[in-house]
Amino acid sequence: MSLDWLDAFLVSGTFGVVEIVGLGLLLHLQVGLTRIANFGVVGFWGLGLYTFGVLYVQVDWPFGEPWQFLFSALAASLAAALAGLVVAWLIADLDSDGALVGTLGFSAIVLILATTQDQLTGGALGLGGLGFPYDLGTTKANELLWLALMTALVGLILGYVWWVHRTPYGRLLIAIGSNEPLARSMGKHTTGAKLTLFAITCGLMGLLGAMHGVMVRFLDIGSLDVGITLAALAGLILGGTARVWGAVIGVLLTVGLFDIVIQFYVPLPQEWFTQAIPVLREAVFGALLVVVLLFRPQGLLGQMRRSKLIRAMHDG
Amino acid sequence: MAEPSAPPILEVDGLHSGYGDVPVLKGLDFAVDSEVFAILGANGAGKTTLLATLARLLPVTDGSIRLGGKDVTAHPASETARLGIGYVPQEAAIFPDLTVFENLSIGGMIGERPLEQGLEEVFETFPDLRDKVGLRAGDLSGGESRMVACGRALMQDPSVLLLDEPTAGLSPLYVELFFQKIAEIHSGRGVTIVLTEQNATLALGVADRVMVLSLGLGSEVMTAADVTTDRLKEAYKL
Ligand SMILES: Nc1ncnc2c1ncn2[C@@H]1O[C@H](COP(=O)(O)OP(=O)(O)OP(=O)(O)O)[C@@H](O)[C@H]1O
Ligand SMILES: [Mg+2]
Repeated sequence: MSLDWLDAFLVSGTFGVVEIVGLGLLLHLQVGLTRIANFGVVGFWGLGLYTFGVLYVQVDWPFGEPWQFLFSALAASLAAALAGLVVAWLIADLDSDGALVGTLGFSAIVLILATTQDQLTGGALGLGGLGFPYDLGTTKANELLWLALMTALVGLILGYVWWVHRTPYGRLLIAIGSNEPLARSMGKHTTGAKLTLFAITCGLMGLLGAMHGVMVRFLDIGSLDVGITLAALAGLILGGTARVWGAVIGVLLTVGLFDIVIQFYVPLPQEWFTQAIPVLREAVFGALLVVVLLFRPQGLLGQMRRSKLIRAMHDG
Repeated sequence: MAEPSAPPILEVDGLHSGYGDVPVLKGLDFAVDSEVFAILGANGAGKTTLLATLARLLPVTDGSIRLGGKDVTAHPASETARLGIGYVPQEAAIFPDLTVFENLSIGGMIGERPLEQGLEEVFETFPDLRDKVGLRAGDLSGGESRMVACGRALMQDPSVLLLDEPTAGLSPLYVELFFQKIAEIHSGRGVTIVLTEQNATLALGVADRVMVLSLGLGSEVMTAADVTTDRLKEAYKL
């Protein structure tokens, strides 16, 4: 089958959008439901990416694919989950300012480790040698299948978020987010619930990082800057933090607009794409964050989950 | 051996508690039986501190709390509900982001009683809530949200209900209605009620016995019927 009609950059661009949708969904559980302010998304994602890459490349695996990928990705997820557990434990009793500093600090530590442990990570030069756990013959075909697998994974994450919303566990998370002392006085193990949630969601962020590593096939410390945190947050906040579809819609409207629509369908001079657009993108995401936090702390599409539930109850 | 009399439902001995370095309660002793027990006191007397300590949300620095004879001083907050304590704080007594139904059902997850039965009992006590189940609790009026808070605590099927200024900020009509409900909850379900109140007259209307908190210490416990202005003044240390 010929894939000549397909722009290779469109595949990787779409992959990036799908990936940030996944991060936004996980962030929705953390920030939107449980109100744990996580400004260190890139730390958990990056820990997954680097753990995966280093294990995949540096370990002399006694077995071939797909086991090399599966074991490295599993280890990456567990490392990110463990980090999430520790960070959540450290910030469990802090207010959101404390949580913000703690999670941001964690992402800075990941960047420092990736930079300084250069025998393992390649440091500032980066590390190559990653690859797909299969071979369909052409890079484009491999990438396309990987995009499909990533989309399936993010679909599963969406299903998980949807499921959480419909369970007593999800109600408990909302209860913790809106009044933790009260939940505790009602016999709920709020710290345990928060730690579990944070560990699971950070572990999945790490898995998304591992998936990313395969797609780009190169570890680059540049990917550990604040960009991916900002993109996930901006999308979540635009779409509304409280509802399931918020992150999906918000990320499509922000990251999708910049990385797909403008990138591929708006005819602009080439040098704009390398200079003006990336700066504009970060500036718009940052400004969006500031404006929304100032005027609509619930997010622009705000309390949709609530009002929809209310409508459903009145109709039914 | 002499027949031991049943231990009090709630017994507090030499209770000390506060916030970090700030001591607030400085040695409280009292016991509550199956009754409506009111704690009076001026602003800042320590009423909220006392109820939050009983709900195990504040650490006990000295003294003990016993429930039906069982020492629960060292129990964490997460166990109080299972021990039979329902707590309605003065402020932030509901989950604003959850619906009324969700607020109630989250209380109903404790114990074995079926959810529907608990809900039915709450609606019997607070019929106004029946039409409001689908609303976001944060959008309710002050009085309605007090009802939700109270109902939520009742869903836990408590043996002791701690109510911190249950009618603060409500209109006089509501206040009367609410105290009626409280009396009903005690007489109808046999729930022991410990409530705090600023207004002595109101408290005396519903309570069997009262105690005045002042400067972190408790007055003698008085039977409501025997309270006189002079005794109250003395208790308030006026
Ligand atoms: N979080 C806190 N940290 C430090 N001190 C506190 C805290 N909360 C209350 N206090 C102090 O404890 C004392 C008792 O407060 P408390 O809230 O128990 O009074 P109260 O009797 O409930 O008053 P009110 O009738 O106004 O509700 C006050 O002097 C108050 O300043
Ligand atoms: Mg008070």
